[in-house]
Amino acid sequence: MKKYFGVLLAALGLAGPALAEAPLPAPQTLLRVMTHSSFDLPKPLLARFEQEAGVKLQLIKGGDAGEMLNKLILSRAAPVADVVYGIDNTLLPRALAGGILAPLPQLVGTAAQRPALAQMADTAGPEGVVAGLVPVNYGYVNLNIDKAWFAQKGLALPKSLQELSSQAYRDLLVVPNPATSSPGQAFMLATVAGLGEQAAFDWWARMRVNGVKVVKGWSEAYYTEFSRNGGSRPIVVSYATSPAAEVFYSKDKISTSPTANLFLPGGVFRQVEGAALLKGASTSSQAAGVKFIEFLRSPSVQQALQTTLWMYPAEPGVPQDAVMQHAQEPVRFESVSLVTLTAQAARWQQRWTQVVLK
Amino acid sequence: MAKRRPSSAAAFRSRQRRTVLWLAGGPALFALALLVWPVARLLWQGLWGEPLAGLPMDDTGPWWLNAHLQWRVGWTLVQALATCALCLVLGLPMAWVLARLEFTGRVIWQRALMLPFVVPTLVAALGILALWGPRGVLGAPLAQAGWSLEGSPWLLLMGNLFFNLSLVVRAGMDGLAQVSAQRVAVARTLGATSWRAFWRVEWPVVAPWLASALCLVFLYCFTGFGLALVLGGQRWATVEVEIYTLIAHELALAQAASLAVAMLGLTAGMAWAYAWVERQLASSARIIPVMRRPLHGLTAWGGWAFALGGWLLLCGAPLLALLLQAVRAAGFGQGLAVLDEADTWLALHNTLRFTGMALALATALGLLHALAGHAMRRWAPAALAWRASAYAPLVVSPVALAFGLLLLYPQWLSSLPLLVAAYALLAYPFVAKALTAALDTLPEQYAQAAATLGARPGRVLWRVTLPLVAPALRRGMAFAAATMLGEFAVSLLLSRPEWLTLTTLIYQRLGRPGSANLDAALVLSAGLMALALLAFWLIEGRDRPHNDHRRAPHQDSRHA
Repeated sequence: MKKYFGVLLAALGLAGPALAEAPLPAPQTLLRVMTHSSFDLPKPLLARFEQEAGVKLQLIKGGDAGEMLNKLILSRAAPVADVVYGIDNTLLPRALAGGILAPLPQLVGTAAQRPALAQMADTAGPEGVVAGLVPVNYGYVNLNIDKAWFAQKGLALPKSLQELSSQAYRDLLVVPNPATSSPGQAFMLATVAGLGEQAAFDWWARMRVNGVKVVKGWSEAYYTEFSRNGGSRPIVVSYATSPAAEVFYSKDKISTSPTANLFLPGGVFRQVEGAALLKGASTSSQAAGVKFIEFLRSPSVQQALQTTLWMYPAEPGVPQDAVMQHAQEPVRFESVSLVTLTAQAARWQQRWTQVVLK
Repeated sequence: MAKRRPSSAAAFRSRQRRTVLWLAGGPALFALALLVWPVARLLWQGLWGEPLAGLPMDDTGPWWLNAHLQWRVGWTLVQALATCALCLVLGLPMAWVLARLEFTGRVIWQRALMLPFVVPTLVAALGILALWGPRGVLGAPLAQAGWSLEGSPWLLLMGNLFFNLSLVVRAGMDGLAQVSAQRVAVARTLGATSWRAFWRVEWPVVAPWLASALCLVFLYCFTGFGLALVLGGQRWATVEVEIYTLIAHELALAQAASLAVAMLGLTAGMAWAYAWVERQLASSARIIPVMRRPLHGLTAWGGWAFALGGWLLLCGAPLLALLLQAVRAAGFGQGLAVLDEADTWLALHNTLRFTGMALALATALGLLHALAGHAMRRWAPAALAWRASAYAPLVVSPVALAFGLLLLYPQWLSSLPLLVAAYALLAYPFVAKALTAALDTLPEQYAQAAATLGARPGRVLWRVTLPLVAPALRRGMAFAAATMLGEFAVSLLLSRPEWLTLTTLIYQRLGRPGSANLDAALVLSAGLMALALLAFWLIEGRDRPHNDHRRAPHQDSRHA
């Protein structure tokens, strides 16, 4: 008897301080930043920003990028954040249609200061910013292979998507579902942009016959299906930086990656991720938000994000981390214009589900 | 005191009604604010709200006209029914072996039945994959023999069995303990074979117990989310996963709402049926149970080997396979590095902190819920509905709930009180259920005697009722705590990096490439499992009720 009341009292004791911890009016400006769940920057960097900018950061993780965006759209009547980081070029049409992004005040840089941003994609205007979304980093979604598996089987790597759909490569590919995964969606967009819509869906239909495996998200694809991690599929949709991450997170600090990029025409998509102000933020939060966006573009963050977010820095002149030598950038990649994406993405998505899953 | 007694039956009833209102008020308001209203808000948005501008809205119509969704609903029903059938066929022999045979290690096995309920969903799913997955301990040899479970519905069914088989075994044991030894003896004396005696004497007693457990199994499998999300894959996922995709990824609220309404209807019916069956079980009649006999003869040994082997394979082996992988990751990989990281300790601290806070809230709510249910026991329809309502947090779509909360309380969504309340919401049913069952069997005389001696209701509760139901309360709290440690659905809410918990940390590690991350995730999963077991053991304590023949609270399980 005593014992249980003891537990109860202890639990109540724990509850006390927590209730007192409810949001206090902070002395500095509170800046609520919504990010996707992969967002990760070194804590000292964030602390230094808070100190220098006089801003109290409140990071909020909203799940996978698509999920995060939907949460922002659903709660737009009473916004839950002042700034968002993690909207990429594939999600931008939905963010615009949802009407959640606020235009950026003029004070953020000029076109001359950021040539790389300007040429980042046709989604961006001449100043490198489209509809308030400032590019922070970019990456490539493409196929990764398990080198050991191919060496052991003595199988040559496919040279094109067409070849990948032949009998020799039956049951070898795993892809995340475009409906529930942003790399999955990017890969589908690459095939459509690279092959043309009809040819792309013909290819997907052949891949269905050829045993392409579809899983919910990147984690399932990479950690349960990819042969490198105990699955049965030696080809997986992942990022161009994944081989570098394999080296970075390896035990013996190996000198070559166990996985490699497989850049096939129509199989590489460039994702540009950015940050933007959200509608409904107070003036002081907006000013703090602009500072935060500038912080994301600062050399120290651009350097750090390479090995925390595993993306390439969007700002020119930032030195590449040494481990990135294992993540060569593709020469050729696909992109889809904002106009086309806005008009077609949803339909392609439904068509893909029809062709591959139903 | 005596003069304060009600002068008439009517006055007594009205006072009792007031008591009920006071007791029920807390949990009812809590469930209303955090469950009913948010879900209703989301359904309203989906069914009648203005469409969200410019979003890809499906125009495929309601689910019953859509072949893909029809298949989803059909499969969800089939997998729930199949799990029930498998649980019955496999679980009854196991229950019989445990209830009727005496052998070394019986008590340990009986305690180990608890194991699956305490294991967090994510850990269980990883365990199933470690055993049956394409490169699992058993999955790999099977795949070589041409029986790959990959892409088959078996992974999900194995997961369902892992969580639910022991539930049916426990219910079967409790039922078999209610069989009167004399009646079996009489049947045998009159010439019935043991087989016939089983069907004619034992089965009718056990059947309602099994029915009650199977109702619950059906509910859990039918509304299952976490397990189906990880193990179902694209083809074999359940309706809950479909609702998740529709809401979280496609923002197709209309379709999601029509599906959710259909699910709510079915689950509400089932929960009501369960509450009805369950209430029939409460019997405090004294029965001399059938004696256990020693293992003798081929049949007994065969039955024992089948039952124990089957249980170990389905419920024990997945956890062992996961442990094996974790040990490998710690010993040969970089799994141990995770212990050096500040994030790990932050996650552990947060996990314990949130569990502690939510446990206090969940205990208070569960206690009030059970006491209110007990106080309204004379008013049958209300009592039944009230009992059934305890299951609502477990069977309502967690996705609909999370997004409903977002619509309703956007300003609090990233605040700690709401997070703790969400944990408590998903945990208080365990406390309420365990206590309700215990209060059912509580003889009224004790409380009446105390009242006659002048004790006020509060004092009766504190000095008589609570001490009598303390073991059940502790057990309910233990289940609640174990559940919260690895709660899956809460991850659908907004989270803050400083609120990192072990479950979110595992996800975070699994979201990055590189073997160190996989190793870390495996070690963390094993740690989470150990923590859940430890919490359960600490709170429940070791002084278990000595094989009492009253009903054991078999209906403790966790929502998978």
